[in-house]
Parts: sequence; C-alpha cells; structure tokens
Amino acid sequence: MKALFEDLAADPAFCVCALVAIAGALTVVTRRNPVYSALGLMAAFVSFAVIFVKLSATFLAAIHVLVYTGAILVLFLFVIMLLNLQEKELGREPRRVAKTVAALLALALFGLIGFAVFSEKPLHEPVPGILDARLESKGDVPAMSVSAQADPAGDTADWGGVRHVGMAIFTKWAFPFELVSALIIVAILGAVVLAKKKLPPGP
Amino acid sequence: MLKYVLLSAVMFAIGAYGALARRNLLIILMSIEVMLNGANIALVAFARQHGAVEVPGHVFVLMVMAVAAAEVGIGLALIIALFRSRRTVDTTELTEPQG
Repeated sequence: MKALFEDLAADPAFCVCALVAIAGALTVVTRRNPVYSALGLMAAFVSFAVIFVKLSATFLAAIHVLVYTGAILVLFLFVIMLLNLQEKELGREPRRVAKTVAALLALALFGLIGFAVFSEKPLHEPVPGILDARLESKGDVPAMSVSAQADPAGDTADWGGVRHVGMAIFTKWAFPFELVSALIIVAILGAVVLAKKKLPPGP
Repeated sequence: MLKYVLLSAVMFAIGAYGALARRNLLIILMSIEVMLNGANIALVAFARQHGAVEVPGHVFVLMVMAVAAAEVGIGLALIIALFRSRRTVDTTELTEPQG
C-alpha cells in the first residue's frame, strides 16, 4: 500500500486524470438530468484518453476521442435532445433502500477486484509480467517483456502508435477485425429498422 | 501499475452502481459505457506491462470500443422506439410487455 501512495505522489498527471475520471463517473451516476450525465461522461472520456497517452497507447487515445467522445457521446446527446424529456417523464428516483443496496453491491464488486489485486497468493499461477505491487520497477511500469526487447528497431520503434497497431490489426488480428466490421453493419441495420418512424400510408 | 488497475476497478464499481441504482434508461446506458471504459483502462495497462509486439491488448480494446458503439447504437434506437410508443424511459413503468 505504501508503494502505491509513493507511486501516486510521484505522478501528479495520473492523479489529476484519475480524479477527473472519477468525478465524471460520479456525475454520470448521480445526476437526474441526463444532459449533465452526458457531460460528466465526456469529462471521464477525455481523462481516459490522457491516461492512454500516458500508457503510450497513442493510437488508442486518438481513436478513443474520435469514437467515444466524437460519435457515441454525440449520439447520446442527439437522442437526449430528440426525446426532450419533460420533468414528469424523467422518472422517479429509486428509494433510499434500493440505492443503498446498489452501493453495497458496487462496493462488494470493488472489494472483490481489490482482493484479487492485493492478495499475497494469486488466485491462479502468476504468469511472467503479471501485476505485483512489490515488483521493483524503474519509473512507472515494470520493464517490458523479452519479446519487445528482442526487436529494438522496426515495428516496435513506435510501440502503441498508429503504425504498430495498424500492422497488428491487419496481419495477426485481421479475422477479428473483419468480424467487428460485420458486427457494426448488423448494428447499423438493426438501429435503422428499430428507430424507423412508421409513416402513414400515402395517398 | 497498481494504480491503473485500481482506477479501472473504481470505474467499474461506479458504473455498476449506476446501472443498478438508476431508473432512467439513458443513464443506465451511460453507466454501462463507464464500465466498459474501466475495462479498457485495465486492458491497456496490462498491455503496456506485457509489451508484446503484436499488441493483443490494444486490439482487444478496439474490439471493446466497436462492441460498445454497436450496443449504444442499438440501445438508443430501442429507447427511441420505446419512447415513441409509451412516452416514458422509466424502467419501473416499462414492466409489462405490450403489443
């Protein structure tokens, strides 16, 4: 635990991003007006993109901003504006008991993940490079595995950048990529069919 | 490294609370997005630590983003269709199926 606090104290950028992300997420789950929730979600998304850059996933950070903030969130806002919920249509808020039970369940979920992270004996056999708070590490993240060091120049010169992830997508992970594009086509068709307005028959 | 996993766990727990404790369908969808983003952070942190040349962590994050986009698209289309026929997005009033 102490190593965690020292790590956080030495990393103010991450602390700011994490606080903005948590504040945004709390805004999403507590506000009654869905527009405020969407704005909190936007703050959380932008801080996630900054964390991705910090983890040298620059391609993912750009795609995160484009897809999540630029498409999904805009779609949310369009639908919120389109529905134009009045006060009486916003719905009642759940009773205090239901909220307390939900908070306890969320805390139990967090406790489960924290237990798995902090426990002395891991639940499964640790694989090389698995998370360990007591690992010695220079700087932020433990040293990269051997496979990355074996190729100092070439594709990994730009690790996590557009060229590197692009090479990975179109060579090794080409099949999941094609499946995902099929999934998106199906989703588009489904959304168009579901949201279509049934016009009255013509003259 | 630990701080990224803890942040991911906190995000996931907050999203889970939002999906359980709110009645407005739009906010439930947004909480699910928060949960998915928590998982994305954990994936990218572990990918950075593992350092593989073909980055399966990043590619999986792209899959998660695509699935989240598809799910949001269809979820919002469903909400629009539902709102057109029943004029409410409150889950407690949407309990009985109709026609």
